[in-house]
Amino acid sequence: MNLPVHRRASRMLKPAVLGLTGLGAAMLLAACGSPAHPVAQQTALSAGAGQSLAGTPGSTATGPLATPSAMPGMTMSAPAGGGSTTSAPAAAVGGDTVAIKGFAFAPANLVVKAGTTVTWTNQDTDAHTVTSQGNAGPLASAALTRGQTYAYTFTTPGTYAYLCTIHPFMTATVTVTK
Amino acid sequence: MTDKPRSPAGSSADQPEPASEHGMSRRQLLRHAGWFGSAVVLTVAGGEVISHIAHDQDSAAAAAVAADANALRFVQVSDSHIGFDGPANTDVTGSFSEALEQINTLGFRPDFVMHTGDLTHLSTPAQFDQVQQMLGGVRTGRVFTVPGEHDSVGDAGRAYRQRFGAGTSGDGWYSFDTHGVHFIALVNTLSLEKLGHLGADQIDFVRRDVAGLKPDTPIVVFSHIPLFAMYPEWGWSTDDALQVLALLKRFASVTCLNGHVHQLFSRTEGNVTFHSATTTAYPLPAPGHGPAPTPQVLPAGQLKSALGIRSVTYRQGTAALALTDERLA
Amino acid sequence: MKTASARTIALRTALAATLAASGYIHAQLYITGYRYIHVIGVMFLLQASASFAIAALLLIGDPPLIRLAAAGAAGGALTGFAASRTTGVFGFVERGLQPSPQSLQSILVETATLLLLAPALIRTLRRLRASRRQDLSGPRRSSGRWASRPR
Repeated sequence: MNLPVHRRASRMLKPAVLGLTGLGAAMLLAACGSPAHPVAQQTALSAGAGQSLAGTPGSTATGPLATPSAMPGMTMSAPAGGGSTTSAPAAAVGGDTVAIKGFAFAPANLVVKAGTTVTWTNQDTDAHTVTSQGNAGPLASAALTRGQTYAYTFTTPGTYAYLCTIHPFMTATVTVTK
Repeated sequence: MTDKPRSPAGSSADQPEPASEHGMSRRQLLRHAGWFGSAVVLTVAGGEVISHIAHDQDSAAAAAVAADANALRFVQVSDSHIGFDGPANTDVTGSFSEALEQINTLGFRPDFVMHTGDLTHLSTPAQFDQVQQMLGGVRTGRVFTVPGEHDSVGDAGRAYRQRFGAGTSGDGWYSFDTHGVHFIALVNTLSLEKLGHLGADQIDFVRRDVAGLKPDTPIVVFSHIPLFAMYPEWGWSTDDALQVLALLKRFASVTCLNGHVHQLFSRTEGNVTFHSATTTAYPLPAPGHGPAPTPQVLPAGQLKSALGIRSVTYRQGTAALALTDERLA
Repeated sequence: MKTASARTIALRTALAATLAASGYIHAQLYITGYRYIHVIGVMFLLQASASFAIAALLLIGDPPLIRLAAAGAAGGALTGFAASRTTGVFGFVERGLQPSPQSLQSILVETATLLLLAPALIRTLRRLRASRRQDLSGPRRSSGRWASRPR
């Protein structure tokens, strides 16, 4: 393309572009037609067949939202169930230990003899649990925050699969031998 | 286009063009710049036009929705993790409060607000008190919730159901109707192994629940853990979700909205569209990025752009629900 | 390119048409909902506006730069489509030929764009190679090593 052509081109450029852009815009607008007229319908909330309505009513206030008060004393509740929890950091009282670190149980497959007390210590900043899979086994810790431990004494030989219910991708086993 | 001009400007005007990578005259350079510049300018202009049309559509749709008393508008929030304290977010209560304030200043009163789970971080009574009190301040028709695995720590969801379980069946699932849309709220965080799990009872509930519905009824399903295989390696999937989705196959429009993964993510599978919502607490990594889905600490000032709320509108006669994900302002 | 024959004008017009069609499909998808999808929305907008821009410029001329950009717009859209069905694009995954019929239409027009471009691109490549050979065998850079390179 030599110079005169180029000059002619730039003269053509503007109308061509405007035309094309305009055409595209018009086509887009035309394609996005208004949807069909809505028909009369029920706008209130109603429960599904045979149920009562779940949920709670929202606020009807019209003023600014009240800033909620700060959390009153965020402390861990005492653990429920058979395990024992201490806040002492990693004071492994004999027996075998499992570290909960980096969102994983280490070792992931522990082998102990029957009668051994296994202690789990959470070394992560996030909370974890030690819970038998399917909620069927004996392991049922509370949520362990950093430094907290959970201990369980295995008496019956077998393989015990467990996980963290907060992060269910964290799975591991304890195998108890005679 | 990297070589310096090798010949004086103008000398090649009437000669065959040398290949551009073997040097370029000033005129050639100018011509290239001209084409390139035109392309950029036109692209920007075209982008402006298209987004302008999109914006007009939005305003038109918003105006239509505002004028249309029959339009449905609801808000989804998720994963407030009240009680979490870590470097990823040192003030989750403040973030959740901002999210609720954003709902109250949307410019319309949503028909309902749905919290798709992990209301609390560790299911303590104090955390449940806090989140319940905060949700009570949202200006909306009704507040619904589904539990996350953080709401059933250690008690299989008993404390959650005491506070939020009124009117629910089984372990806390339920359904409701409004504006011609059928909503199903599922619980897939209780008997979980590695993946989310619904269980036979809940699948039966869905079967009975949708039995009498016409196939053109739009269906919206809420759950905490995704009902699609977003990233099973991290537990971001529900092992028996296909049984529920099979029950919903005959419906023209099915939208599944979930939380749990703390990030926006969409997938379409046949008649079903899945949308994961973001969190109001802290971000998690993208699937497979990093060894585990651990709370991500963002550079200062960037946290809020990872958090947000989602508003959804639906008008009968339109093809699908329109989702708008907003960052925390 | 000095005297544009009827054939090259027809070719350029066809190219502009397929590109504009691809841009139109992406713009329409952008407006009707893809703009709500994180990152993907912006990519749709960029593809649409770039396609329109290149289509407009193709009506005026088709220097290699514009042809390359045309190939980029069409090839980029196809690559994005393939990636979203396999590895995912910024966390976005879709299955099969959804949305229908736009995904199939867009594959067809983008493939057509690339096919229309192919002869010109091959010719450009051949010309580049030829001029390089000429250049290399010229007096300035001739050396035994390069001159003995097989054709």
